Amino acid sequence: MAGETGESVRPGRAFIPWDDLPVSRETVIGIGTILPVAVLYLLIAALPIAFAFWASLHNIHTLNPVWEWAGFSNYAQVLELNRFWGSLWRGIVYMVGSTLLQLAVGLWMALVLNRITYGQKLLTAVVFTAYLIPTIIVSLIALRVFDPQGGVFQMIGADYLSLWAGGEAPLGSRDWAMPLLILIGSWKFSVFITIFTLAQLRAIPNRFYEAAKVCGANRWQMFRDITLPRLMGIILVVVLLRSVFMFNKFDIIWQLTQGGPGNATTTLPVLAYKTVYTDQAYGLANAISVVMFLFLLVAAVGYFMVFNPSEEVETTA
Amino acid sequence: MSQNEPPGGVFGLSYDGETKIFEALKLVSTAIIVLVGVWPIYWMTQLAFTKYRVVSSDHTYFPWPDIFTVNNFNILTDPVMYTYIFNTTVVAIGTIVTVIIVSLVAGYGLARLDFPYKENFARILLIGYLFSPIVIGIPLYQIWRSIGLLGTRIGLIIALSAISMPFAVWLMWKYIMTIPEAHEEAAWVDGASRWRGFRDVVVPQCRPAIIAAALFAFALAWNDFTFAQILLPATDTTTFAPGVLREMNQSQFLPDAYLMAVSLAMTLPPLLFAYFMQSYLLKGFQVRAL
Repeated sequence: MAGETGESVRPGRAFIPWDDLPVSRETVIGIGTILPVAVLYLLIAALPIAFAFWASLHNIHTLNPVWEWAGFSNYAQVLELNRFWGSLWRGIVYMVGSTLLQLAVGLWMALVLNRITYGQKLLTAVVFTAYLIPTIIVSLIALRVFDPQGGVFQMIGADYLSLWAGGEAPLGSRDWAMPLLILIGSWKFSVFITIFTLAQLRAIPNRFYEAAKVCGANRWQMFRDITLPRLMGIILVVVLLRSVFMFNKFDIIWQLTQGGPGNATTTLPVLAYKTVYTDQAYGLANAISVVMFLFLLVAAVGYFMVFNPSEEVETTA
Repeated sequence: MSQNEPPGGVFGLSYDGETKIFEALKLVSTAIIVLVGVWPIYWMTQLAFTKYRVVSSDHTYFPWPDIFTVNNFNILTDPVMYTYIFNTTVVAIGTIVTVIIVSLVAGYGLARLDFPYKENFARILLIGYLFSPIVIGIPLYQIWRSIGLLGTRIGLIIALSAISMPFAVWLMWKYIMTIPEAHEEAAWVDGASRWRGFRDVVVPQCRPAIIAAALFAFALAWNDFTFAQILLPATDTTTFAPGVLREMNQSQFLPDAYLMAVSLAMTLPPLLFAYFMQSYLLKGFQVRAL
C-alpha cells in the first residue's frame, strides 16, 4: 500500500517519477523513518567503539591532547596487568552472584504476586518503586544504615550477630564489601526479573491448571509441568540481560565503595574508570573498554548459540 | 505429569492440607516482600523528618513529636542542590521527548513499511543492550570534548536517548503491529496522506505504548549516574546523582538527615508513577523485547 505513483495529485508538490527510479517510494520513506535512530546509534555506539579502538592504540594522558602512537602495546599491558585479571574475576563473581540471587528472589516474587488475591495494586507499586528508585538513593540509604555512626544494620550486625566489630564499617571491610554490594544491588534489580516473569505468568491460561487439577496433579506437579516450561524462555532472556547489566555495573559500586577497600570490589568497569581519572592513562582505559566489549559480545553470542532465547520466546506466544 | 506418581498433595499431604500450607506460605511471602520492599523507603522517610542532630548521634526508629522537624527540607532551596535537581529534570524531560519522537517514527516504519534489511536493523538495535555506560562513556568523553558537547545537558540527553532506544523502538514496533492496518487504510481512502494517517490514526492509538516508553525513558534518565559523572564534569550543569556524591565528599556540612530529605524528594516522582501508572508499565514489559 505505497502512496500514489505517477502524476502528483497535489498541486504545488514537486513531481517525483517514482516509477523510473531504482528504489520504490516505500523504501525511501521506510529508511527515512529509521534514520534518526540509526544516526543516534552511530553517534553513541558505533563511533565510540571505533574511537575507543583507535584511542587504545595510542598512549594518551587524560588531560593532555597529545596522542602518541603505541600500536598494540596497551593490549599487551592490559593482559599483563594483575589488576586486570583480578578485576575480571571479581566482575564475574559479582555478575554470577547477583544474577543468581536476583533470579531466585525475582522468580519467587513473581509467583507470589501472580497468586495474590488482595492488595495487588499496592504490592505491584512497591515492587515497581524498587526498580524505579534512583540508584544513588539506594546507595545513600545503604551508606547510612551500614555506617558505624548511627547505622542501624551496622549496629545489628555488630551487637546481635557479631558479624563485624562495633566500630567497623562493613562496606569498608574486605570480607563484607562484595557480598553487601551483591545484596544491595539485588534489592533494586530483582524486580526486573519479577516484572518480566509476571507478564508471562499472567499469559498462562487458567484452564491448564484446571485440567491438571481434574487429573489429580498437586501444586508442585503443576508448577513443574505447566508453569516452569512456559517461563523457561523468558528466564533465559532475563538471565542474559541481567548478567550483561551486572557485568557492566559501575554506578552502585562506585557510589558505595569506589572499588575499595584496596581492590576488593574493583570490577572491570571500575578499573576502566579509575584508569582514566586516577592513573590518567586514557589510551589504556580504552583498551580495557574494548576488551570488555569483546568479552561481552563473545559471551552473548555464545549464549545465544547454546540457548537461543529468542526462539524460545517466539514459541510462547 | 507422569503416571507413576501417587496421587495426593506434596509430601503425601492431602489436597486440603496442601492448600492450607500454600495459602500460609503465600501470606508469609507477601509480608516479607512488603517489609523488605517498603523498609528502606520508610527508613529514609523517618530520618528525613527527624532533627539532624538526633540523626547524627542516635538511632531513631520513628520521628516522635519531640524530634520531629520539616527543616531538613530546606536543603532543597540550597542553590547547589536546587541546580542539581533542576538539571536532572531538564535532562529527564529532554530524554523523554527525544525518545518518544524518534521511537514512534522508527516503530511505524518497521511495522508498516517494507524496506530491505528491516529485520537485520532491528536485530542490530539489540546489540545496544550490550553497551555498558562505562565502555561508551570513556570514548564519548573525548568525542564530546572535541565537538563541544562536554558539560552540556544536550550532550547527556543524546547519550541517554540512544541508550533507551532499543527498548523504545521494539516497544513501538510491536505495539503498532497490533493496531489493525484497516484503520489507516480507511483514512487513506478518505484522502489522507501517509503522514496524516500516522499522525491522526496511529499515534492516538499508541497512547499506552507512548506512556510506557516515556516511563522507561524517565526511569533511565532519573537514574543515570555513570554518563552524567563522565560527561558533566562541571558542577553547574551536573545532575543530582553525581552532584550529591560530590557534595558528600566536599561539603563541610551535609548531615545524613539532609541527605535523606533530598533523597525523599527525588524518590517521590518515581513513587507516584509506580503507583498510578502501573498498568502502563506492565504493558511496556509485556512486549517481549527480544
